[in-house]
Amino acid sequence: MKSRSEALVAYLMLVPAFLALAIFRFYPIAVTCWGSLCTESFVVAGKQIFVGFANYLDLFQDPIFWKSVWVTIKLNVVINPLQVCLALLLAVMANQRFRGIGFYRLLFFVPIGVSLPIACIVWRIMLDPNSGLIDSILAVAKIPAQPFLINQDQALWCIVAIATWKGASFWMIFLWAGLQDVPREVQEAAKIDGASQVQRFLRITLPLIKRPLLFVLVTDTAVNFLLFVPMFLLTRGGPSYSTNVLMYEAYKTGFVYGEMGKALAIVMVLLALVMVAVVAQFRLFQREQS
Amino acid sequence: MKTFFSAALIHVLYLTVGFLFLLPLWWALASSVRPLNDIFKYVSPFSLAALIPDKITFEAYRSIFFDRGFGIAVFNSLFVALATVLAGLGVNSLAGFAFAVLRFPGRNALFGITVLTFLVPFEAISIPLYTVVRSLGWLDTYLALIVPGVANGIVIFLFRQFFSQVPRELVDAARIDGASWLTIFVRIYLPLSKPVIVSAALLIFLFQWEAFLWPLISTRSEGLKVIQVALAGFEERYRTLWNELFAAATVAALIPLLILLPLQRFYVQGVTAGGFKS
Repeated sequence: MKSRSEALVAYLMLVPAFLALAIFRFYPIAVTCWGSLCTESFVVAGKQIFVGFANYLDLFQDPIFWKSVWVTIKLNVVINPLQVCLALLLAVMANQRFRGIGFYRLLFFVPIGVSLPIACIVWRIMLDPNSGLIDSILAVAKIPAQPFLINQDQALWCIVAIATWKGASFWMIFLWAGLQDVPREVQEAAKIDGASQVQRFLRITLPLIKRPLLFVLVTDTAVNFLLFVPMFLLTRGGPSYSTNVLMYEAYKTGFVYGEMGKALAIVMVLLALVMVAVVAQFRLFQREQS
Repeated sequence: MKTFFSAALIHVLYLTVGFLFLLPLWWALASSVRPLNDIFKYVSPFSLAALIPDKITFEAYRSIFFDRGFGIAVFNSLFVALATVLAGLGVNSLAGFAFAVLRFPGRNALFGITVLTFLVPFEAISIPLYTVVRSLGWLDTYLALIVPGVANGIVIFLFRQFFSQVPRELVDAARIDGASWLTIFVRIYLPLSKPVIVSAALLIFLFQWEAFLWPLISTRSEGLKVIQVALAGFEERYRTLWNELFAAATVAALIPLLILLPLQRFYVQGVTAGGFKS
């Protein structure tokens, strides 16, 4: 009797959260699955017609789709390890104790307040090939002006840099928090000022922060596969589709060309890619454990 | 002597990293208080004057708030973010408490599903979400901006991890005294969880403050523009009014920073205690 009332209380407490999750998460996910198998009727507005895998077959014959898959994978293979490594490095730096560290921590926190859209807008002006701050700083070092975002070989890497500027700082917090749980004596031994200490860091500290590390890697991966803002604000997927990631292709297909079914099929492919990446990451961490 | 050099080296390293982080915001701030014609004056060829304004004017700030209606966007974002924080803290902490403390059939399965939701970010489901919100009749209202952000898998996860570290004896003693589960939650758990409440509030606040794609597609009217969308629109329309653009960007960045920095200590504690102790 007692445990039955406990269960009842638990369900009551879960109702608000699960009602909201059901309406705004699970149902849209289900609609995404179903909608990717449908097409909108031309006769009756809003009516869905089941078309099976036609949207997917359509996609698989579209070279722009394959180009987007490639760009998405290329971006993520670079950006996720890069952000997690830099975030870890920053966390180790933030976790040191010496005079003035508070000031540096303050600086390390700055990008967290700067949202990605703002970061994009400000970086765009700084990266402008005509009068940009970065080109003129490069000129001081006698490096010729670079085209950055308007060049198809550089645009994607500029986006990686901008997103990492923001991301490394954000994910640092979680890893720094993890480091604070590592006993102080262990960290003293793991200071980063010599080769043997680097070794000790890898052997002792790193295994102790495996859980936050996995959490950050997995969430960061999910975020970056769906990275959209820089492409929307800076490059519109160009030049020559060099930054046309799947999420941006899905947005264009759905909201610009109005082909919802096809857009949802792209999102499904994207989610499948995220799942594959995340499962691979879990496997990797488990193998390390044994 | 050797320690002096290694200490100096450390400061050089930290300053370089810090400079990279501060540069965009600093440049935005410096440019926002310059007269419009001076903004690119010292950029090329580069001189330090590019980073330190000589003539200071607040004209750009006056203009964005009084001529461009940027104040509405600031208000909207603050309102949406704070409303989501309040509702989100309530809803998610209750769920976290149930998962951490109570025993009931299906607990692990339901928690597993919750965790899975943070692998599917907002952007991915924004298209069908649009249909859901349209059929609720919420398009172009505050509800569309607030309600979908309330229940949050990561926040439930944080609360659950934190609550499961509270010693079980406290609960058992209160149960023997006849306290209800709700009383235990409100009187025992909530007062203990200041760090996790702060970190959860910040996560929700930042999530809403930075929201871009969802507000972009779910609202149309000028009066409902949130800050990120207003900024992007501003950039498109007044691209050459650099000082105003920079002023708007500075305002949009300083508000969360001013909230975040004093809470920094709590934030880190909350994430630590909430996330990852076994």
